[in-house]
Order: sequence, then C-alpha cells, then structure tokens
Amino acid sequence: MSEVPATDTEIMATAGARELKDGQVVVVGLGLPQVATVLAKRTHAPRLSALLEIGVINPAPIDTAVGLADARIWYKATCWSGFLDVMGMNVHRGVVDVGFLGALEIDQHGNINTTLLKNDKGGIRYFNGSAGGNDIASMAKSVMMIMRHEKRKLPTLVAHLTSPGFVGGKSRKELGLRGGGPFCVITDKAVLGFDEETHSAKLVSLHPGVSLEDVVENTGFTLKIPKQVPNTPLPTAEELRLLREEIDPKRVYLGKEG
Amino acid sequence: MANDANKVKTVAEVVQTIPDGAHIALGGFAINRCNIVVSHELIRQQKKDLTLSQGVVGLDTDLLVGAGLVKRCIMGGGSLDRFGPVHCINRARETQPGWSHDYSSLTICLKYLAGALGISFIPTKCLMSSEVLDRLEQFAPDDIRKMKCPFTGEEYLLLKALTPDICFVHVQVADREGNSQISGARWENEEQAKSGKRLVVVTEELVPTEYIQRNPERTIIPGHRVEAIIHQPFGAHPSACFDYYDYDADHLRLYVNHSKKKETFPDYVNKYILGTKDHWEYLDLVGGLKQMNEIRAEKLLGY
Repeated sequence: MSEVPATDTEIMATAGARELKDGQVVVVGLGLPQVATVLAKRTHAPRLSALLEIGVINPAPIDTAVGLADARIWYKATCWSGFLDVMGMNVHRGVVDVGFLGALEIDQHGNINTTLLKNDKGGIRYFNGSAGGNDIASMAKSVMMIMRHEKRKLPTLVAHLTSPGFVGGKSRKELGLRGGGPFCVITDKAVLGFDEETHSAKLVSLHPGVSLEDVVENTGFTLKIPKQVPNTPLPTAEELRLLREEIDPKRVYLGKEG
Repeated sequence: MANDANKVKTVAEVVQTIPDGAHIALGGFAINRCNIVVSHELIRQQKKDLTLSQGVVGLDTDLLVGAGLVKRCIMGGGSLDRFGPVHCINRARETQPGWSHDYSSLTICLKYLAGALGISFIPTKCLMSSEVLDRLEQFAPDDIRKMKCPFTGEEYLLLKALTPDICFVHVQVADREGNSQISGARWENEEQAKSGKRLVVVTEELVPTEYIQRNPERTIIPGHRVEAIIHQPFGAHPSACFDYYDYDADHLRLYVNHSKKKETFPDYVNKYILGTKDHWEYLDLVGGLKQMNEIRAEKLLGY
C-alpha cells in the first residue's frame, strides 16, 4: 500500500481533482490539469467530460503523453475532431463548465501569462503563447489554474496578459467577457480563490505542513486571509495509488517521489 | 482516370512554383503530422521572405524560421510539447518586436474558417481585454476591428480572414485525385486547407479511389479542391503520423539540442537538409528502414 507520504505535486493534483464535479464539462490543458482530471474521473466524477483543444473528447489513456500532439493522449477517445468543434462549438458556445489551465504567471486578479517572461535587465524570453489558453479563459463558465507557488510567478500584474481574469479588478461583464472567470488557483502550498467584491485573490486553504508565513512570503501580491485558515485535505491512499500506479507511473508530471 | 496522372507531383516540382514572399500555411501541430517534406524542400530551394501561418506552430515552421526563410509568422501558440519550446520561432519573437502576429488556437482557426467560407471577416468574443489584443492592435492594426452586433448591440472583435497563397497538409491517405482522409485529431486542418488559394496534400499512402469509396465519411478534403498530391512515406518524420508512426524521440532531442542556440542550428540544416538531396536520402541519414520500423505505430494503439 501507499506508505510513502504524499508529495507537494500529488497534493496539488488531488486538490485539483476534488474541485471538479461529476457531470461537468471540462476543457483541460496538458500537464497537471490532465493528471488531476483523470484522477477525478477515476474517483468521484466518472461522468465528467474531458475536452482537449486539439480535438479529442474523453480519452482513456494507458500511456503518459508528452503533450496534446502525442497520440497517447488521444487513446480510446469517444470523439476526434478539431479546434472548431472543441474550442469553437463547445468553449466559444459557452457549454464548458470549467477551463483547467497551467500558467507561467498568475496575478492578483487571476490574469494568466503563458507568453513571455522579463528578466531584471529588461530582456524578454518567449514561451508557448496563448494556444487555447485565451479562448478558454475568455469563454469557459469558470476557470481553475494550477501552478507552483513562487513569489516571481505570483506578481501583482503579469508580465504579459495572455488570458484575462478580472483585469484591473473589474467584473467580467465590464470587461466584455462572457465566461465567468477564475475561481480557484491550486499551488504546491495552498488553494487560492477570488473575493466576490474586489475580484482579488484570497487564501482558501493551506496544504498540510505549510505555514501561513511561508505562503505570504512567497506570494508577490497581498492575499486576503480569512480568520480561520483550514488545511487542504491530504490525498487518500486510493488517490495516491491511482496517481502513482495508473495515471503517471513514470512520474512525467508528478515529478520526484517523496 | 483520364486527367489524374499529372496531379501527383514531386515536392521539388511543387516548391519551384512558389514565389519568394508567398504566404504559406502548414498543417502540423507541435510534433504531429508536420509538413517536414515541404519545409526541407523550401530550405533546399532557399525561398525568401515567406509569411507562415499555423494554429499551433510546430517543427515544420520552426525549421523554416531557423533557416531564415520567414519574414512574418501568424500563429496561435506553439511548442514541441515536452521536447522543448520552438526555439527558432521564440528567438525571432525576442529579437524582432512585431515579427509574429500572435492570436489563439480558436481565433487562428476562425480566421481560416472565414477564408474557407469566402467571407472577409468573422466575429468572436475571444481575445477581448487581453494583451494579445493590445499587441495585435499595435502590430497588425489592419487585421483587427471591433463592432457592435447590429441585432443585439453586443460588442464583438472582428478578425480578418486568412487566405494563404498555398496550404500544405500532411494526411494518412489520398488517392490520385486528391481525395484525402485524416485519422486521429485534426486541429484546424480542414479550415486551413480550404482557406488557401492553392492546396497541396502530402500523403503517407497513395491509394486507389475505390479504397476512398469504402469510407467516404473519412474524406476531409475532396479531390476537386486539391491542386497536387505529393506521395512521401514517413514524410512527417521526426514528427508523428497517427496510425502510421510515432514521433522519433531521439531525433527530436537531437533537433532541440541544435535549435537551442543560433550558432548550432546551421549544423542541423547543413547535415540533414542541405546535405541530402531529397526525403529518401534524409530518411537513410536518420536511421533508414531500421529506425522507421522502430517508430512504426502499433496497430491497436495507433502510436
């Protein structure tokens, strides 16, 4: 049995899975969002529909893929189509409940950067760009993000606003966006949410063993902190077994063992 | 069968007809069904000042940018999945502000769809309130407008149609008329292929029309839209072609090791592209039949 304690990444993946509800339609970015979605489907949410932007719906992979272009993640899907179907007639149409995304940076208003980073000397380094990220953040009914918790990755304002959250603290309606915007950020230290009035990030729960000081110190903006901060529940033995033995046995996305 | 014989062409013949400065759309996605045959030949013939468009840019476009053939990229995003970033494209974006017009996956697809439908623009609710839009307004001001819907008053972004001079798409199966069937996911292949002024298909297998007629529902591109067919087995190597072969992980790592630095990229181009006269010689150089057999897809898995 799983005697080895859960790693930070395993806690992240499980926390992500638990935010997904059975029957929801979820459009999933690759990496940890994929791992968390498969975990949700194999535990409490078997009727969840998982959509991949490339044109794949509800795959049941048996090998770990290196990305969306890797057919390992297309295996046993119930539908193969393309962008126009998944991103157009599902995401743009407004039938997707949750967009589940990774990021380079996330700021206090839930804006996402997946395009570029600036160094101290003003140099710019480019990364993937939007791909489906902007479409999903703009149009999904809600957005969940997952990313490592580092001060430089959680700035007051992202270095490049690729995908909008509550830009400038404004409501989605004011921004002319149809989707509901971000509701949750899962890191390797905590779960964050967004204040309904100010649309700024707030602390929801701390992962077991992580101190409040640690989170405050490693967040680049001021977090709203509730009087009582609960702990994020640990993964169960069954969740750990699924992650380690079935979903990512080569630890491509889960990383080092504990 | 009377007039079909001249539709099957070599890639060299097709590329000779492309003028410098042309807008070319390639059908690859990251490391899947990339138009490697076409990119290699464009490099051998040293075409210049190309505009390249693609939804999620991959190895085919990265090669052309690294070899210095591209003056503008119109793209939605891109990477080589876990093998690494599209280093050559990212370097161009870092050193030349405005060199790339960056959209998103869906908005690039919608721009092709508008082109394919023969309409000059298409409305969307994506990209609003983002820096992606700010930058397009700065660097591509003639391609972006905002408008209130004349029926509801809701604000929309209008995207100008994309109509490339020539589109290439790599497919698993085509007949001599160009009837083309794609298996697996197909991103923006259909909208892109049908948006251009010319369309050329690169196929793994050239099959009799009777084979196409067995499953006509799989035909994504009907033959009358296709100007030419290039028949090249393992034509997407080192990217994958679903049901035919997996990506060549060792060669992709070798590619990224060269593309990482501007100084080492010419070594790759000289050895694997300029140093080979065609794709058959290239395939021999990267391991030949033995290596192709190594990456051949398992029948039940498709990879």
